[in-house]
Amino acid sequence: MNELFGSSRLARGLVSSSAWLCYIFLVVPSLIVIPISFGNPGQIEFPPRQFTLELYRQFFTDPAWWGSTVQSLIVACLTTLATLVLAVPAAYALARSRLPGRGGLQGLFMMPMLVPVIVLGLGLYLQYSNWGLLDTTAGLVLAHVMLTTPYIMVSVMSGLQHSDVALETVASIMGASRLRIFFRVVLPQLKASIAVGALFAFLMSLDEVVVAYFLTGTDSMTLPVKMYSSIRWELTPVLAAVSTLLTVLSLLIALGIIAMQGKTEASS
Amino acid sequence: MLLLAPLTAVMLLILIYPLGLTLWTSLYNGRFSFDAYAELASSTLFLRVLRNTFEIAVGGTLVSLLFGYPVALHLAAQPPRKRTAYLIMVMLPFWTSILVKSFALVAVFGNQGLINQFLGFVSGGTVNLPMMFNRVGVILGMINFLLPFMILSILGSLLSLDRRLILAAETMGAGPLRIFWKITLPLSMPGVLAGVLINITLSIGMYITPALLGGRQDMMVANLVDFYTRQTLDWTAASATAMVLLILSGLLVAMLGKVRGAAGLAGAGA
Repeated sequence: MNELFGSSRLARGLVSSSAWLCYIFLVVPSLIVIPISFGNPGQIEFPPRQFTLELYRQFFTDPAWWGSTVQSLIVACLTTLATLVLAVPAAYALARSRLPGRGGLQGLFMMPMLVPVIVLGLGLYLQYSNWGLLDTTAGLVLAHVMLTTPYIMVSVMSGLQHSDVALETVASIMGASRLRIFFRVVLPQLKASIAVGALFAFLMSLDEVVVAYFLTGTDSMTLPVKMYSSIRWELTPVLAAVSTLLTVLSLLIALGIIAMQGKTEASS
Repeated sequence: MLLLAPLTAVMLLILIYPLGLTLWTSLYNGRFSFDAYAELASSTLFLRVLRNTFEIAVGGTLVSLLFGYPVALHLAAQPPRKRTAYLIMVMLPFWTSILVKSFALVAVFGNQGLINQFLGFVSGGTVNLPMMFNRVGVILGMINFLLPFMILSILGSLLSLDRRLILAAETMGAGPLRIFWKITLPLSMPGVLAGVLINITLSIGMYITPALLGGRQDMMVANLVDFYTRQTLDWTAASATAMVLLILSGLLVAMLGKVRGAAGLAGAGA
């Protein structure tokens, strides 16, 4: 079965035992929060010696936790919507046009992925403190739109590569307007890739902490910022409940993305 | 054209403008000068932080390579269906929030964590390994974040390797070690190189991990930017530090672009 490292039993044993060590190291941190979250509300305890939902009660009733969660969900939803509205038409235009500055624009849209977030965080902090946008939901959403644009771009551009240009040509010959072509011919073909990009953007915005840490204050604090300061200063067991909920949500989104990606590949 | 204008405007306003403003702030303080950079170059704090950053980034990358390579080998050797199952484990941390992972790592490796509880239990309370809030903690957090990128990069190379070469070598009597040194390892070097570059690029800009899992001595460049911005309110120094980081990571991204397409850099800013 194994040609890559030959048939030596010793080699195989070494490889698979160090591989398993890594699998455990990679998986345990994402899963250990679950049992802790149902355990002792007084201190972080593993293995838990009791079963209680107390930590979840504390999470949902404490305005500092629940409020920042609602704020994060609002920011993530607004970010996803705004990025879709801006980036999907732009991706379409980039893919179909033969503009001279095409490569440059594409580079501009991909750039947020390549710049260290701390640099963007500082730049936006300097800019927003001049413009009075610090600690506002609008300011944070704008920053997140910039950060999530490359991911929606990548997803939609790859969807466009699979879509059929001939259909657009046909619609155009039959007299459909460009707007109608975009909404009736192009968008329906891109449904799955747009959904993948949207889910990714939502998750990115929901988990984003560095830029949010620079831009938010007490009024607009998001969940990751609250978690960050809580891990840093108090390390309360409520974190286990928050982490469990967040992990479950992330995994659901990941499953959604994987399912949708399967769809885009099947339809091409 | 009309479809591109709104997004271009947003990007110029929210991406290019703040970067330009950072550059401007680092150069202009009443008058134009490179004073901020000269001050950094002679600041012991900055130099120490820069050295930390290199040590942690290179150290974390090497550990990630050391452990990632066997995982990639193990994955490449599986039949496709089984490989998918293992890949889910590799990708799990990729989908988990960095804060959840940081919190969990403290719960596992902290002074009252799972491992130290166990060590205390078997040793009767005499052994307690300090593995968090120091260099070890930063490296542990770092490799937990870096490993998936390393593994996937090497796996790509291993899967495209022509297995008939290995079969031929085996038929001609080469032993497993020799096959690994002469065929598998050299042919997987592009993946290793890309993985190493991705890991270093990702780790030099790291902020959360050193802040939460490191000690006072493990400050990295990103943390220094924050320190100048919030603690000393020295925006000029903060901007100059950020520019140094931007240039370093730009160089790494360019190198990576040479090794493989820039598309392989997803998430490099994290």
